[in-house]
Amino acid sequence: MAFLTVKFLLSASIILNVVAALAALVLLRNQKLCSLLSSLICIAASLFGLAAAFKQLLFEKEAMALSLWQSNIPFLDVTLSMDALSAFFVLCLSILALCVSIYSIGYMKHYFGIRNMALFYFLYASFMVSMLLVFTAGNAVIFFVVWEIMAVVSYFLVSFESDQPETQRAGILYIVMTHIGTAFLLIAFMLMGRYTGSFDFAIPSSALPENIRNIMFVLFLIGFGTKAGIIPFHIWLPYAHPSAPSNISALMSGIMIKTAIYGLLRFVFIYLGVETTWWGMAILVIGMISAVLGVAYAYIEQNIKRMLAYSSIENMGIIFIGLGISFMAFSEGLELVGALALTAALLHTVNHTLFKGSLFLGAGSVDYAVHSKNMEDLGGLLKRMPITALFFLGGALSVSAMVPFNGFISEWLTYQSIFAGIVPGQAAENILFIFAVAALALSGALAAACFIKLFGISFLGLPRSEQAASAKEVPLSMSLGSGILTALCLLSGIFPLYALGLIDKVVLQLANQPILGQLQGSIFFLYYPLEIHGNAISPQIIILTLAITSVAALFIVRITFGKDRRKEYGTWDCGYESLNPRMQYSAAAFSKPIRVVFKIMFRSSRNLKIKGPLTYHPDAMEYSVTTESIFEKYVYDPVSRMVTAFSGKAKYRIQTGSVHTYLLYIFITMLILMFYNRIIG
Amino acid sequence: MAIVIYITLQLVVMILLAPLVNGIIKKVKALTQKREGAPVLQMYFDLYKLLKKSSVVSNVTSWIFAATPYIVVSSALTAALLVPVTTFASPIAFPFDIIMMVYILALGRFFMCLSALDAGSTFGGMGASREAMISSLIEPSLLISIFTIGLASQSTSINDIMLAMQSVSLPLLRPAFTLTFIALFIILIAETSRIPVDDPSTHLELTMVHEAMVLEYSGRQLALIELGAAIKQLVLITLIVNVFLPHDQFIAYAGISGVMLSLLVYLIKVIGFAVLIAAFEAGTVKFRFFSIPNLAALSFILAFLGFLQYFVLGR
Repeated sequence: MAFLTVKFLLSASIILNVVAALAALVLLRNQKLCSLLSSLICIAASLFGLAAAFKQLLFEKEAMALSLWQSNIPFLDVTLSMDALSAFFVLCLSILALCVSIYSIGYMKHYFGIRNMALFYFLYASFMVSMLLVFTAGNAVIFFVVWEIMAVVSYFLVSFESDQPETQRAGILYIVMTHIGTAFLLIAFMLMGRYTGSFDFAIPSSALPENIRNIMFVLFLIGFGTKAGIIPFHIWLPYAHPSAPSNISALMSGIMIKTAIYGLLRFVFIYLGVETTWWGMAILVIGMISAVLGVAYAYIEQNIKRMLAYSSIENMGIIFIGLGISFMAFSEGLELVGALALTAALLHTVNHTLFKGSLFLGAGSVDYAVHSKNMEDLGGLLKRMPITALFFLGGALSVSAMVPFNGFISEWLTYQSIFAGIVPGQAAENILFIFAVAALALSGALAAACFIKLFGISFLGLPRSEQAASAKEVPLSMSLGSGILTALCLLSGIFPLYALGLIDKVVLQLANQPILGQLQGSIFFLYYPLEIHGNAISPQIIILTLAITSVAALFIVRITFGKDRRKEYGTWDCGYESLNPRMQYSAAAFSKPIRVVFKIMFRSSRNLKIKGPLTYHPDAMEYSVTTESIFEKYVYDPVSRMVTAFSGKAKYRIQTGSVHTYLLYIFITMLILMFYNRIIG
Repeated sequence: MAIVIYITLQLVVMILLAPLVNGIIKKVKALTQKREGAPVLQMYFDLYKLLKKSSVVSNVTSWIFAATPYIVVSSALTAALLVPVTTFASPIAFPFDIIMMVYILALGRFFMCLSALDAGSTFGGMGASREAMISSLIEPSLLISIFTIGLASQSTSINDIMLAMQSVSLPLLRPAFTLTFIALFIILIAETSRIPVDDPSTHLELTMVHEAMVLEYSGRQLALIELGAAIKQLVLITLIVNVFLPHDQFIAYAGISGVMLSLLVYLIKVIGFAVLIAAFEAGTVKFRFFSIPNLAALSFILAFLGFLQYFVLGR
């Protein structure tokens, strides 16, 4: 088994993904075979990736380096490297890719005959390769190239259903925003090359002057922040994620936006180092804003997938809160607090990958069965799709941070890191921290409310449309894909120490702080409580207590008072004829209280049209409510209008179409360059 | 062994005492209105009656509706295990985390809201939507209050907080704790669906929140939900009285007699607090639904000021 090195496993994963991409092109004519074979090869590839990541994390001390191509041209060596940080993200990617690939076998069936399967799988496998390479790129040039490939490939995947006008718009918005982010990264990398003479990020950044460091931090924050979809760079995310096919949404939300977290850790935390407190503060404040506003926008949304997309913004905000606290703590020398917050952020990263993957796959199953993503068309799906509903409920409980799912563990750790970070004597930091607590609490409670709405309106009650009434359970492969993810959410919630054991290696590499020893409490009966600074929780004993008390309640009542005599009857309808589905609470109505409370933010306007001659006995009524996004209206729209106007003018003033003018431009440019060389060079 | 005794004591006290608190509140309210009111033990009779009765279940509902009463009861009981009624009996190695307690109670609420939507009735949706708003708005002040008392005791373990507060003489006279106490009192009112946030004694569709959510329940399911709600209320009351009005430091006895005396004092404190809640309810009117955010904001500001007080003026 000696040949099963990390190098071999990682290469096998990359090569198999490439094979899957090529196989898809070869099997252009046979859609079924193309879909099945490419999915299977991708499953194999992700298993190899999983093995590589596990081996690197658990058994290897040194980072793996793989030199693919040594060139004479400076900075163009193609090298891959995998240390604990890379391995952790490759692990997240591989788990998700495995489940999504299983899911795709069934899910892609509804595109047969309508879309080009070969194209889809070519892009799908390329997307996997590009993300693998982003996490393992050995220097900044390679990183930048594969980053760009990832952006372009994901653009094509977002616009896969390219005949829908909404999708086209989402695609354009996505590619523009992602390139704005890339532009910032490009400047940062150019500064890096200019001041250190190298694009190798393993070389210490001590050559960089203080102000350049600050500039580079801001550039990285905006560049990666755009990919992460944090507010105010989020506007592409709620359009791009719902437009893509659901398996792609799961990948984008589950892991692609996490490349930003990887980038921040790789380039800011490791490369630039964290010595400046305001960096952490900036990340923390952005995280707080994203967490609260993200979930608030999610709450008023009626489209399932868009709601999940906004929820991703919220969760990225929570990860940023953890990162911000960690950066602040490290810059102030509170190593333990920093390591704890970093652990919380990384744990939330993998948790979000698991539960958001499961939720997007579940939303895809709903779309597959009902052909609608609008909650107002759904309802009663629990009885028609019981398995999908069960897994979706698990994901919803996890994202709402409910005990005993994994979302709770990472929120608890974030709270504990803030708790440990509040020390008397530093007023400004403490006030910021307590606001972070408030932001976490508000976003946590609103997230729970959000998923009560999502699950309650879509899966419970009566079906609101014909399609929902006749929905059928999805194929086994689709249930399996989302089921594995939900099961992992539950397992890593009950036994958090396994996930923390893996993260421990990353924190050890980044901060040289073994956090696991701090977290692991005493062995008591059969459970390992999670403990930090004497504050302990035990998910195992809680789930045990919940199970025992509920079963005990059932049996005690049953034995004392006999069997429950149930009578089935209609829902209480105030004595009228039977209720119809339109009388149920709608998704828009459910979110009304919050919409009214935060009306400054949502700027909602209601529109009631009464038809018929009599106001009090109308023939028909039409009610619609619209909300507007303040960021789009007051920031992005004016800017885009200005750019459009400027380009329009430039077309006539600069790009006249006359060759003479262009010759003049060339001449002037040459003159300027000559003077520049003469004077400065 | 200590753990078994603790769990038994905790469950017995919480289950037996919880309906009494509701009875006392109702009785005091009736007396303030010059009515005789129902007997103090009325809720026990009601629960017994409901448990005996057969139930009518809507044919629209799914397993969520059937499972919710048990989840509500078990989440309330699990939370009850984390809030010791007396610190004399609490085992040291038990994970009493206060943040955990908040999230366990949230689990019960999550399923309660889902079950409200399960029957497809308009009332259920109305109740769930309102409950979601109220609980979201008070959550920040709840966590800030928890952080303040936790930081003051350097622990998030409820038992450690209670022990630490016992060494503070008269905590309620310290500004930081006074403010936090008032903030938590408002949270208690909102969490337990009392006036001015919700009116537990009416079925008026314009105002009801908790009652709207449980409208479809009957028979033993309703009994379990009501019991769960009562236990949740007692858990919060216990937390407040044992943290802000600690009494175990005054009891000199050890062993069984110490525990018994401590329980007796605890009982008196709970009854006193129930009277306080009743007086507060009798003295206010139900707010318009969209005025509740103001109450939540007040609670938030008080909690925040409490935190600031702690860090600016020190202990």
